[in-house]
Amino acid sequence: MSEHLLSATQMAQFVASGYLKFEAMVPRDLCDACLVEMQHNKGYLAVGTPFEQTWPKGTALGDAFRLPQVRGLIHSLVGPDPLYDHHAAHLVKGGVMKGPDMHQDSVIDFRENYFDIQLSLFPADTPDEMGGTFLIPGTQFRNVRTSEITMYQHMRGKIWANCTAGTMYVWNTRVWHGARSNHTNTDRYMYKLRLNPTQPQAGLFDLSDLDNPAVGAALNTNHGWEGNEHRYELMRRVQLWRFVSRQPGYDIGERFLRRREYNPAAA
Amino acid sequence: MAEVQDILVLFQTTPGLDAQVVAWSRYEASKGPGITDLVEEAEPPYRNAMAAMRDGWQVIQMSEMKHRPPGDAAYEDGPLPYQTVLSRFNPMVPDEETAQ
Repeated sequence: MSEHLLSATQMAQFVASGYLKFEAMVPRDLCDACLVEMQHNKGYLAVGTPFEQTWPKGTALGDAFRLPQVRGLIHSLVGPDPLYDHHAAHLVKGGVMKGPDMHQDSVIDFRENYFDIQLSLFPADTPDEMGGTFLIPGTQFRNVRTSEITMYQHMRGKIWANCTAGTMYVWNTRVWHGARSNHTNTDRYMYKLRLNPTQPQAGLFDLSDLDNPAVGAALNTNHGWEGNEHRYELMRRVQLWRFVSRQPGYDIGERFLRRREYNPAAA
Repeated sequence: MAEVQDILVLFQTTPGLDAQVVAWSRYEASKGPGITDLVEEAEPPYRNAMAAMRDGWQVIQMSEMKHRPPGDAAYEDGPLPYQTVLSRFNPMVPDEETAQ
């Protein structure tokens, strides 16, 4: 298990950008079998129950989300015993066009030191023209009501899945995202699985490179849309980093959190 | 050919008309009632609202400065904070030419 845990640098990238991309996460033959199963997807399983107990066994999708490298990823972010939240086989049929679609999933969510993850598996090669899911990295701290942000048709920093079969994205469920037009004749699937933690999400990843300078650099990432908001975004990232890395005094640069925390008069 | 109103919304993180554009949206009624296939754009059509004004767009709304709540609530994030709404009239494209 330990060899598949996220590094501190990767975890900092997740905290700052709200997602990580892993190519070749699921072998192609298993992807092919997953793709067949996805086409017969039924509704949600038992929402809020232990993942290991609820998730099917003896199926391709059951095996794919239990691969050691996927388990390591899950462990790093939500712990070894997450809850199954829900899943879906998102389909954009060949030739189906999409207009503006930016949204934040589910409902508004202000839980502190908490995040759910969504694992997105692309079971087939998904070139640009096939319309892979788009994300706006770094937006996971900005709470909005679901689809009101469809008004943002274009935004600096936008990325989208443009990947080979077996690529998995893991993302904070609060990241603004949406679907894109499929300009091919081939149906495009993205299989998503949402998981909840059952324990505080602190110290769950590989802590051995906590002092890597790349951690601070990752937290300070500017995705292009932040502008005057960047320092406020940085404060949110540092707050979450303090929690997940078990470093309650951590800060970087000008140490903006001191502006809230340092006050001799309040002692 | 009748002219109809097109709207361009520029989203910003500071309120001025010379502020950098970080997101943008088009409501081009002259072309149809909505966008059915959103084409990716890496850069906004104008670097700021003033550049759009120099291209014939009229500002019909600019942002007011925000008053923040006192205390830690001032740090709460949400939608992008500022926007400029611009208008320009263009000849209407008949429906059969728009594929809308």
